[in-house]
Amino acid sequence: MWIAVGIGVAVPVVVVIIIYNGLIARKNQVAKVFGTIDALLKKRYDLIPQLVATVKAYMQHERSLLTEITEARAKAVSGRLSDDQQVELDNIVSKTLGSIMVAVENYPDLKANQNFMHLQRTMNEIEEQISAARRAYNAAVEAFNNAVEMFPTNIVASMMGYKTKSFFEIAAEQRENVNADKLLKS
Amino acid sequence: MKTLEDLKNFYETALMPDLKVIEQQRRSVVHKVAWVVIATVSIAAVAFFVAAQSLHEAGPVVIFPIIVGLLIGAGVCYLLTRGYVADFKALVIERIVHFIDENLSYEPKRCIDKSTFMLSKIFTTKPNRYKGDDFVSGKVGATEIQFSELNAVYESGSGRNRHRYTVFRGIFFVGDFNKHFTGQTIVLPDTAEKLFGRLGQKLQSLNIFRGNLIKLEDPEFESHFAVYGSDQVEARYILSTSLMARITDFKEKTGKKIYLSFIGSMVFVAVPYTRDLFEPRLFKTLLDFEPVRQYFDDLQLAVGIIDDLNLNTRIWSKE
Repeated sequence: MWIAVGIGVAVPVVVVIIIYNGLIARKNQVAKVFGTIDALLKKRYDLIPQLVATVKAYMQHERSLLTEITEARAKAVSGRLSDDQQVELDNIVSKTLGSIMVAVENYPDLKANQNFMHLQRTMNEIEEQISAARRAYNAAVEAFNNAVEMFPTNIVASMMGYKTKSFFEIAAEQRENVNADKLLKS
Repeated sequence: MKTLEDLKNFYETALMPDLKVIEQQRRSVVHKVAWVVIATVSIAAVAFFVAAQSLHEAGPVVIFPIIVGLLIGAGVCYLLTRGYVADFKALVIERIVHFIDENLSYEPKRCIDKSTFMLSKIFTTKPNRYKGDDFVSGKVGATEIQFSELNAVYESGSGRNRHRYTVFRGIFFVGDFNKHFTGQTIVLPDTAEKLFGRLGQKLQSLNIFRGNLIKLEDPEFESHFAVYGSDQVEARYILSTSLMARITDFKEKTGKKIYLSFIGSMVFVAVPYTRDLFEPRLFKTLLDFEPVRQYFDDLQLAVGIIDDLNLNTRIWSKE
């Protein structure tokens, strides 16, 4: 009889431990991927001065874009921003970078420049890695949210005070397709 | 990319003279084989009758030479056809390979190394009977490739308990991937998810020998494949949304359960086949277009992986 009582106590305890550890693991996975995104964004910011230096001589008419991106970068690496401000700034940088890359089409000499081509490949790679990291972040958030909301893990989650996290979403204005015509004419 | 029209032209102008030469050879081989078979069977039949007469005394003594005779007959047939197959491959298959792309080279007797096969980590069982043929290699555009037919089998036990497990039989392809990466990502055909849905996914994630299960966003891709990888972000860097769609399309093109893996900045693709590819027919004429078209299709499927997976797009840091 005592064996039955022992099992009756041990089994729920083991289950709770498994659920608890599972929740911690998922929370940590979200944090880990967030850290990866951060590191990749920093890599991108580090490339910006190089980009500006390479294109400055060629792109005489794009002064405003280049200034904009240099200022945005300075703000981003200053480290004095809240999370939301960081995300907004990151969106601005993405958009401006996109505009610069489209404007490059007007400068065939620049397009053929070896330094620029190498830089373009590196930037493409980082952009793709950032996109991969964001997808991984959303997957990690989904797994975490599932555990926080579904039964029976939600019981333990609410005891731990875990709340659902939000997915990474592209800002509404970025979702508008880039108007290449407008950019090329400017 | 060569079209069917191109192939027809090639077949009629360039290939036909060689086909005629080989066809002569085929006919002569068929005649010789027919004679050997008739001779061997007649001798065996005669010997059998003789043995039947003197049943009591010499039974086993006469059976033995009959069996030896049959074996010799089979051996002679094999030797006759071997020369024919080698000539066929050198003339016909090699020409078709060069027709598809001049930068490709063909070695009929060679196959992908066993070490490369195991390096892909697609198949975890190490085969102890490993052979293959029809090795093609070269650089198409910016991509180095190698592929061959393989037949990898694992045999265990002996005598009556012998078990034969086919690890892989079909075309095994190795190509230079267009992105740098450091970990491993393995794409396997997905049976559990199809049958069991979410529970199937749970079972897959428990497969600890394979590394982390990577759940991707493309629902069609996910329904066909289960992905395991060493790093969640890197797996998604490799398997971009466009590559996932391309892999799904390629799988549908082959109509088979394909396996892929991404290791050491290379991509490995395994396409299983139940038949032997690139072997010449013995008892039917070679002058038809149909078998040539089949050889071309099979070769084109493998070489076409470069375009299907967009491996020549080199816009990232790897050139």
